[in-house]
Amino acid sequence: MATSFNRLPQALHMIARNPTQSSKKLGFSTFLSCAPSMDSSFSKLSLNHSGSKFGFSLDTKVRKEFIVRAEDNAEAEPEEAAVDEIADAEGNVEEVVEVGEAKPMRKPRIKLGDVMGILNKKAIEVSEKVRPVPEIRTGDIVEIKLEVPENRRRLSIYKGIVMSRQNAGIHTTIRIRRIIAGIGVEIVFPIYSPNIKEIKVMSHRKVRRARLYYLRDKLPRLSTFK
Amino acid sequence: MAAALASRFSRGRSLIGSLSNAFSGLMNSSNGIMNGNILSQQQQRTFIQMGTTLKVVDNSGAKEVKCIQSLKANKKGARLGDIIVGSVKEAIPKGKVKKGKVVYGVVVRAAMQKGRVDGSQVKFDDNAIVVVGIKEKKKKKPEENKKNKVEFNQPTGTRVFGPVPHEMRNKKQLKILALAQHMV
Repeated sequence: MATSFNRLPQALHMIARNPTQSSKKLGFSTFLSCAPSMDSSFSKLSLNHSGSKFGFSLDTKVRKEFIVRAEDNAEAEPEEAAVDEIADAEGNVEEVVEVGEAKPMRKPRIKLGDVMGILNKKAIEVSEKVRPVPEIRTGDIVEIKLEVPENRRRLSIYKGIVMSRQNAGIHTTIRIRRIIAGIGVEIVFPIYSPNIKEIKVMSHRKVRRARLYYLRDKLPRLSTFK
Repeated sequence: MAAALASRFSRGRSLIGSLSNAFSGLMNSSNGIMNGNILSQQQQRTFIQMGTTLKVVDNSGAKEVKCIQSLKANKKGARLGDIIVGSVKEAIPKGKVKKGKVVYGVVVRAAMQKGRVDGSQVKFDDNAIVVVGIKEKKKKKPEENKKNKVEFNQPTGTRVFGPVPHEMRNKKQLKILALAQHMV
């Protein structure tokens, strides 16, 4: 995206100013207004202003359309001037690019849809610093050491087979199943929880499913882990 | 982004078929836990309500109890750790509790998942209670009969079988925790 910005500053500037109006005249008038400014100050601010909502698939196609639009305009003189400007502009682009790169690179704008993803990643990073989480997949037989606030003396140990892993950013959970004292128990653990002091993968069982709910109907023997 | 917990569809097996509970339709969507929008074929376990048969996991004499009432204010029914009133359907020949008696029990294992404050959830494979009191059929003053403010702390039996969850501590059932074989 950055390169396309560098290539066609004037085109972007135009499109930014007139997202809805497709009339050629208006487009051309803004081009006129921006043409003189383009050479003087290649400001990144104008690009920022444009927002990132436009599909910037800027290719030579756009350039040609742009040129066509300029040529179709009724006004003759400014048109020629504009055409000249375009030729100059494309020649100038390389110079402008070099000038632009000397300035600090523009930060990619964060879209509203990305916010949760970014927050989750940050939270996971914070949690990983305290305690790194191993790679856990369905079918692993794991041992989890949990600090229970009610039972502060010792860490509770939970062992069992991972029945499923639900990915949800910071609330990624795994479901552990085990037969305890004759009764099947399933516990869902959020793996990035600060209460979990240790997760260790003991062994792995070959499974051909992502979720092993069939274990509930099977013999208890298959869910027993010493 | 995937939901934290997959949503569950009811399969009928978990609901009590014979009773038409008005809330049974609502239970699927408002199960007390975040339900994601991802469709996955899952069993939806629900509350312990009138008609639910539960195992008795102490040595008080009863073997199976059918729930008559859940003493929780919740209209939907009892969950893990709640007290229910039940009728003994099956009992050993010589026990403290005989068949046909009405007993109070605390749910120690529930097939419905119970969320904990740290984000974890626990569920068992069956429903089980520990008998904590027997209802007497005395015809004295109605206040005495009600037992409204009586605490059900003392289990009738002397042993408890199977795993017991930590929720008992919150529900002040410390005796049961002490007798338990294994704490989850």
